[in-house]
Amino acid sequence: MADTVVDVNEISRSFGAKMALDRVTFRATEGKVHGLVGANGAGKTTLIKHLLGLLRAQSGSVRVFGRDPVRDPVGVLGRVGYLSEERELPEWMRVDELLRYTQAFHPTWDASYARELLETFALDPSKKIKELSKGMRAQAGLIAAVAHRPALLILDEPSSGLDVVVRRDILDAIVRTVADDGRTVIFSSHLLEEVERMSDHVTLMHHGRVTLSGALDEVRRGYQRSRVRFVEHFDQRPVLETALVMEGGGRTWSVVHSGSLEQFHHSVLALGGEVVESRDATLEEIFLARAGRGRQQVEVA
Amino acid sequence: MKTRSPIAAMLWELWRVTRAEAAWKQALGVVVALAAWLVFAAFAPVWDKGTASLVSISLYMPHIMGWISVAGLNGGRPGFPLYLHYTRPIRTAVMVGIPMAYLTALSCAIYLVSAFLLRATSGYPFSVLPAAAWVAALALVLRAITWSTRSMVVLMLGSLVTLFAGGPAIGSRLDSFPNDVGYPLTDYAVMALICVFCFGVTVASVTRQRRGDSQAAIARTPGSGLREWLIDQFRFPCPTSSATWAQVWLDLKFNGLPVLTIGVTLAIVILLSSAIGNPIDAAFADELRARASCVNADCFAARAWPLLLTPLSLVIVLGLARNAFGIRRRQGRAYMTAFEVTHAHGTAQLALLKVLARSVCVLAAIIAIGVSAWISVPLLGDPVFIQVWGVPLNSQRPAITGAVAALTRYEQLSLLVVVAVGVVIWVAALAVFGALRTRYSRHVNIAASSLLLSGLALALLALGEHKGIVSPFVFGAIFAAARWIVLAAIVFTIVYVFWSGFAERVLTIRYASGALATSAAFGAAWLTVMHMAGVQLAGMSAMNAVSILSPALLPLMASVLAPWSLSRIRHT
Repeated sequence: MADTVVDVNEISRSFGAKMALDRVTFRATEGKVHGLVGANGAGKTTLIKHLLGLLRAQSGSVRVFGRDPVRDPVGVLGRVGYLSEERELPEWMRVDELLRYTQAFHPTWDASYARELLETFALDPSKKIKELSKGMRAQAGLIAAVAHRPALLILDEPSSGLDVVVRRDILDAIVRTVADDGRTVIFSSHLLEEVERMSDHVTLMHHGRVTLSGALDEVRRGYQRSRVRFVEHFDQRPVLETALVMEGGGRTWSVVHSGSLEQFHHSVLALGGEVVESRDATLEEIFLARAGRGRQQVEVA
Repeated sequence: MKTRSPIAAMLWELWRVTRAEAAWKQALGVVVALAAWLVFAAFAPVWDKGTASLVSISLYMPHIMGWISVAGLNGGRPGFPLYLHYTRPIRTAVMVGIPMAYLTALSCAIYLVSAFLLRATSGYPFSVLPAAAWVAALALVLRAITWSTRSMVVLMLGSLVTLFAGGPAIGSRLDSFPNDVGYPLTDYAVMALICVFCFGVTVASVTRQRRGDSQAAIARTPGSGLREWLIDQFRFPCPTSSATWAQVWLDLKFNGLPVLTIGVTLAIVILLSSAIGNPIDAAFADELRARASCVNADCFAARAWPLLLTPLSLVIVLGLARNAFGIRRRQGRAYMTAFEVTHAHGTAQLALLKVLARSVCVLAAIIAIGVSAWISVPLLGDPVFIQVWGVPLNSQRPAITGAVAALTRYEQLSLLVVVAVGVVIWVAALAVFGALRTRYSRHVNIAASSLLLSGLALALLALGEHKGIVSPFVFGAIFAAARWIVLAAIVFTIVYVFWSGFAERVLTIRYASGALATSAAFGAAWLTVMHMAGVQLAGMSAMNAVSILSPALLPLMASVLAPWSLSRIRHT
């Protein structure tokens, strides 16, 4: 069994009256890519800041490599590569100065890898950070984060500002390289398609809580999207066991549901209907079912 | 909150941004007024013109400094700070006019309250309406200069010219009309013209900035700002051998060396102004004699500049010592960048490096200014010093040099240690204050206000005792209690922060040992300096002895508070 790199246990954090994290438990294992997904304000960045020791847990515990990142920042941050959402880099530095500065903190710095990435991104090392576009800043920050080959790479919204080519080809390649080397990646994203493409594990956050967490394949297997046809005409949504979201009207409905397909078949059969077709739900459909309005509507119904 | 118009919304925003600073400015004005009244009332029941001028200058100072809270919206850069309005559907004239009018009116109101209070307490006829009008005009001119340009050099030059040319002119106008009686309407008309002109220039300039036509319209455009320019001048590679040296490189390049450069530049300016002062004064001697009454038949104007510049330079350098932790403030948000705090540094080590890097540069800048001033003394000659300070400083130079040379090596070293550690304490204190204010802004404001009020109450008691209103016994008891309370607060803070720092692993045994050793060295040096100053602890009361020794605790307090407070903003 893979070692646990990150072990977050029941942490809570509030900012004034707003509960940013509510008894969140999260684990990341070695050699896997963990995707954090959630709407704005779901608590993804707050959770990441706890992993870096930038925020103290008000309750619960955070362990990264078995250490508390607040009490032992050197022990934790020395093995972490981090790209922040705001791309906060010292604007007065040149790109090569930024890389040299970062290199000083990491004896494992791979200069040839840094050079290779610089060439891949076509970044001019003599340019100042403040002269770079938002995407170029993200690229510079990404090089600084990965060139020391960190044991844990944390990327907060890494796609923000990157163009499609860089996002699909280079970012994916970097992340896969890290994971293939047996190292760990945690990244947050709004882009469900990206999370689905890159992650081994996915954690869905909503209103400061983890609503879903597990291996991507298992998560996807646990949810199906089925088209259902009834003999009777339904003006309102029919009540189906395990259904999370229902769309459609009359006799034909499209349903995202959890649990076993057999159980769902029985439920449909009981209302005089049949399942026309079924497939694994996409992550987006699961996300909308678990966090979106659809679920509330179902619950109300 | 519900606002009915964009103007009301802008005024509300401005009020939210400036209210704390307005309160501080008003409090400072009132405290300065009362303190001046207390001090001078004790020694001179009737104020003379010189005393009143000094107090007046202290009343004008907060308005000359500008509005730091508004400038902070743009990170202190030149240019229009309320640039977020650019995307809002309001005309540029309104966008500029509302904040300009608001800040000008606020400056005016703050001055009026302080001036009325001072009039009531001292009985001296301080100028009210004309001075308030000039304060408003000056504030508006300074806002116009700051908002109209994106260049720090233009901003500095414009501000200096306004203050050094306009200040004396305004002073002479106000002096001509004591009691404000008969103040000419033409002066008000001139002020109105200045205001209209400044408003027009600012609107035109902000329009260019808004449309991106202005040079360096965007805050991040390369080459803008004196600081960026200074950083560019120091091109030495970042060492990669260790994290410590890399951090030192960052703090020196970004924080330390620009301060040192400014200090050295000021030192050169002092020296140059001293060198050219004599020929200028000689060239205009007749004109000076015709305009002013000269003591010892030696008239001078240009030679006054170095005398004014030296203390001003020291104040500037000591002011630049602030924010050693590099806390950023933008649009009401204060924070440390994730870039710095996510590097693998221990918090104590990070705090130490930041404070030391800044302190070394501040100390070097102070030394440069001091050396420059010392070299300038013979260039200025004795009459200047006699006339200003009543001391023939030039003639006394050999005596001062001899006195320093006569000190033992240990005494010289002690003096050096006290000065050097004093600078470090100053830098650390400002850094700690900034960090705690970032994390616990309300608590720090309350604590600082309480301290200020306590000091004021003590000063009032002292005056009461001097006038015979308060019994010396009561005053002595309260004063002694206050001293014990301060000492207990220092000791409690040190003990608590030590305990908390170790519990949170912010402090390490190595760091704490270093702090204790430095404090012990400072304590020994402090005692030596006290001894040199003729202070004898033997025979002194316990209270006085403790008070004399208490500064020895300051390095220890600063050295434990610095990492502790940095930890408060690093791990919020």
